[in-house]
Amino acid sequence: MVILTPMWELRCESLGKRFGERWVFRGLNLNLKQGTVLMVQGANGSGKTTLIRLMAGLLAPTEGHIQLLQKGQPVSDRTRWLGWCATDGALYRELTAYEHLHWWATVRGLTQLLSAIPESLLAHLERFELADWAHERVRTYSAGMRQRLRMAIATLGAPPLLLLDEPDAGLDAAGLKLIEQVLYEQRARGIVVFATNRAESEHWGDLCLAMGA
Amino acid sequence: MLQEWRLRQGIVASLLMGIVTVVGVGFATLGEVLEVGLQAGLFWIALLFGLFPALARGFITEEETGTADLLRVGARPAAVFWGKWFFHATLYCLLSLTVVPLYALMIAPLQGDWLGWLLLWALGGFCLVSVLTLCGALVARTAVRGALLAVLTFPLLLPLLLLLIAGTKAALQAQSLWGALQGILGYALMMSAGAAWVFDRIWRDTM
Repeated sequence: MVILTPMWELRCESLGKRFGERWVFRGLNLNLKQGTVLMVQGANGSGKTTLIRLMAGLLAPTEGHIQLLQKGQPVSDRTRWLGWCATDGALYRELTAYEHLHWWATVRGLTQLLSAIPESLLAHLERFELADWAHERVRTYSAGMRQRLRMAIATLGAPPLLLLDEPDAGLDAAGLKLIEQVLYEQRARGIVVFATNRAESEHWGDLCLAMGA
Repeated sequence: MLQEWRLRQGIVASLLMGIVTVVGVGFATLGEVLEVGLQAGLFWIALLFGLFPALARGFITEEETGTADLLRVGARPAAVFWGKWFFHATLYCLLSLTVVPLYALMIAPLQGDWLGWLLLWALGGFCLVSVLTLCGALVARTAVRGALLAVLTFPLLLPLLLLLIAGTKAALQAQSLWGALQGILGYALMMSAGAAWVFDRIWRDTM
């Protein structure tokens, strides 16, 4: 019998986070394999964003630990391998969408993309229907366009772990369709953790984690 | 850097602060011949006052707009530190271009050992920018920002300021400033080795 080790795996063991005296959650165990989309659902304040931030390495767990494994071996710095989409903020108001992608490709060392600019970056923006706005500053964007840009940044370079914190907030029907497409593509190359408030988004996931339940 | 340049708030605030300091002191001491120690002190205080508004803003704005998290996910801490440092150093140069001629015109002419002046300006600038970049990063992660910035920077800046003033006094009198330069050089070495390392710990220290 041949046992296949998945390329990517995300493990959370006895994970817990406390702010002051209040535990947001405790004793969370997860084992997500490549091709999995985990939907994290729950009311406001249930800990969805906290879980995403812990996975992104932006918060340290109070107890337990998180590991990203490549071919069964833990990677030393998982921030190198993840794409993160925040609920709000996290954009420079005075930069354009193109400048954001160019900057992100530079800091992440995405040499393949950088060698083919501007076409590669414009093509990526086109996917998110932002090509016409590529050279407009972010401060002129609507909430939905900003959300698309956050998604564009998170997915640039096809990271194996995609952490999406309510990316569906403020998006129109076309934007939601786009997210569905991103999730479909990400299944082939890695893992998605998707926090949402929308009950309608539940069917996009393979697993559902109800926070605060 | 592009964001700050387009926003210009920090740059304009810095230049204004520096200019107002020099012009204010210039008018207050109009017609008086200032003692050398006072001249040296005022020179560095004008540059320091000018630097403070933008340096305090740098990381605080990143934290408030959430872009600091984007940087944490995407960039190496050393790249973030030296990127900010480079912007602050550019600001220091811009500020010097504005404030130093104004200082020479309104407060006291720059005279004495020119090579000494240049060394003091370069090494002093390196140290000032490093200390304030580091303190800005530390303070940005706390709730009581304004007060903490003052408390943190005071013990770090005071020895440096004393050395810079001593060196400037010597340069003004065309005396040897080797003693002060040695101290500033030591401070600069400590900063170049330590600041990026300390920043790495602050930046990655998740709450």
